[in-house]
Amino acid sequence: MTKTEQGVRGRDGLRTPRPPHDGRGDGHRAHARARRPLAPVLGRFALFALPGLVAYVLFVLIPIGMTAYYSLTNRNPFNPPTRFVGLRNYGELFGDPEFLRALVNTVVITVIVSVLANGGGLLIAMLLDRRGKFYLALRSVFFTPVVLSSVVISVIWQALLTDDGLLNVLLRRLGVENPPGWLSDPSLALYSIAWIITWQMLGFCVVVYLAGLQGVPRELQEAAAIDGAGPLSRFRNVTWPMLAPALTINTVMLLITGFKAYDQVQVLTNGGPGTGTTATMAFQVVQTAFTGNRIGYSSAMAAVMLVLVAGVSVVVLRLLQRREVSQ
Amino acid sequence: MTDGRTHAWLRPLVALFLSVVFFLPLYLVLVNVFKPSAAIVADPAGLPAPPTLANLAAVFSRPDHLFLFGLINSIAVTALSITIVTVLSAMLGHYLARSRHVMAKVVMVMLICGLMIPVPVILSPITAVLKSLGMMTTLQGLILVNVGYYVPFGVLLFMGFVRSVPLELEQAAELDGAGKVRVFWQVVFPLLRPASASVLIFLGVWIWNDFLTPLIILGPDSGTTVTVGVYRAIGQHQSDFGAVFAFMFLATLPILVFYLALQKNFVKGLTGGAVKG
Repeated sequence: MTKTEQGVRGRDGLRTPRPPHDGRGDGHRAHARARRPLAPVLGRFALFALPGLVAYVLFVLIPIGMTAYYSLTNRNPFNPPTRFVGLRNYGELFGDPEFLRALVNTVVITVIVSVLANGGGLLIAMLLDRRGKFYLALRSVFFTPVVLSSVVISVIWQALLTDDGLLNVLLRRLGVENPPGWLSDPSLALYSIAWIITWQMLGFCVVVYLAGLQGVPRELQEAAAIDGAGPLSRFRNVTWPMLAPALTINTVMLLITGFKAYDQVQVLTNGGPGTGTTATMAFQVVQTAFTGNRIGYSSAMAAVMLVLVAGVSVVVLRLLQRREVSQ
Repeated sequence: MTDGRTHAWLRPLVALFLSVVFFLPLYLVLVNVFKPSAAIVADPAGLPAPPTLANLAAVFSRPDHLFLFGLINSIAVTALSITIVTVLSAMLGHYLARSRHVMAKVVMVMLICGLMIPVPVILSPITAVLKSLGMMTTLQGLILVNVGYYVPFGVLLFMGFVRSVPLELEQAAELDGAGKVRVFWQVVFPLLRPASASVLIFLGVWIWNDFLTPLIILGPDSGTTVTVGVYRAIGQHQSDFGAVFAFMFLATLPILVFYLALQKNFVKGLTGGAVKG
C-alpha cells in the first residue's frame, strides 16, 4: 500500500510541482480567490464535498463525540434522569471482572488470529506461488471464506463443532469415546472461536502474500542461489525482507479484525459457556448497551475499546513501516 | 538447488491436500443442501444420491417469508448503499485530491481516522441520531448509516486514483466551456471506473454480509436482511441442518455471483487504465 501511494505521489509531484514549502504555499490559491468570486467556490464545495461529509459527520463524527459524552454520564433510557458522573464509569470499568475478562479474551483472540493467519497465510502463499490453472483454482479455494458472511461461517462451524456435530460424530466413529465439547467446554470455546476467525481470514493473507511474492525479482533469487545460498538463507535474506509491506497490511488488518470480533461470539456462544468465557469487548459493549440499557457505562467501555484499537494499530503500523524503510 | 527438482511432485500434492482439508467445511454445506435431513444425520459427508431440491424449496415457502423479504431488503440496502457511497465518495475524493486548501488536508485526516472505528463503539449514538431523524428501524436509516460509515474507505480509494487522472484533461474540458459538474461526470468519473469497480466490490460484499448494524438498526419487529435472517433461522430449528444450510446457500448465492461478475470487470478495468495511462 505504502509503495503504490509513494509511487502515485511521486508521479503527481513530477507532473505538477508544488510551490516551495515556505509557509506561504497558499499564495497561488489566495491569488485565485481574489480573482474569483466566492459564490462559485462555495457552490462547488456544497455540490461535491458536502453530501459525503454530511453523512460522515452525522453517522460517525457526531456519534464519536456522543460516545465520549455519554461515557461521563449514567445515561440509561429506562432509568432517568441522566446525570453527569465524571470519570466514575471508567473507575468502575477497571474493577469490573466481566470487562477485564472481555479485554483478556479479545487480546487472546487477536494474538492467535494474527499469528496463525499470518504464518499459515505465508506458508500457503509460498506453496501456491506457481503459475497455471491448478494453483489458481486452489487460490480461490482459500479465498472463498473471505467473501462469505461471518454469520454464515459461524453457522457452518457450529454444525461441525457442536457436541453432536459432524466432527464429533466422526471422532466417535474413529473410536474416541468422549470427544471434546469444542464450543461447550469453557476452556476450549474461546480457542474454537479464534480458530474460526483464523480460517476466515487465512485467504486474505494468502492473497496479499502472493501479491508480495510476485514483487520478488527472480534474478535476485537466482543470483543468491548462484552465490551458494540455500533455500532457507534465500528466504531469510531475499524473500522475507521484500514481503515487509505485505506483512504490514496483513498484521494491521488482522489486528483490527480480532479487536472487533463480535459476530462469531453472538452466533456461536452468546458469550458463554458459563459467564463471559468467550465474551469479547465488542460483545460486552453491545450487550451492556442494548440488553442492559446501561448506555453511559457501555460508552465508557466503547471509548476504552476505541483507544486500544487505534493505539495498538497505529503503534504496530509505525513499527512495521519503519522496518520496511530500514530494509 | 537439487531439492527443488527431486521433490517437484511434492508441491502440488501438499497444496492439494491442504486445500481439500481447508475446503471440507464448505463441502459439507454444499452436499447437505441437497440431502433430506435424515440422510444428513446418517451420512454427513457422502454425496447426495439422489439429490433433492426439497430443502431449497422449503426456504422459499417458509410461512414467515424470512428469506424472501430478507432477500428483497438485502438487495435494496446493498444496491442503494453502494451506489450512493460510490457517487458521493468519488465526488468528495476528487474534490479533496484537487484542492490545495489546508482544510482539505484536515478533512482527509478526519476521514482516515474514521476508517479505524469499529461499529460497536458508535452504534448506540447512531441509534439516537436515527431516532431523532425518525429513521430508526427503516431501510433508509440503515442505508444512510452505511453511507456515512463507508465514505472514508471510498474517498481513500478514489483519491489515490484521481492523482493518476491528468489535470490537463479537466482544464481542457473547462476551456471548451464545460461546467464543473459536466467535467466531473463526463471526463473524470468515467476515467475512475477501475476505482469505482473496487469500491462496489468491497462494499457490496461488506454490506451484504454485515450482521451487527442491520441487527440493531432494523430491530426485531420489522423485516430484516438475509444475513440477519440466517441468524434468526438457526434460532428456530437448530438441529435441522438441511433447512439451515439451504437458507445459507441461498443467502450467499447472490453476493457470490455479484463478486464473480464484477471481479472480471475489475481486472479488465485495471489493465485498460494501464494501457491508456
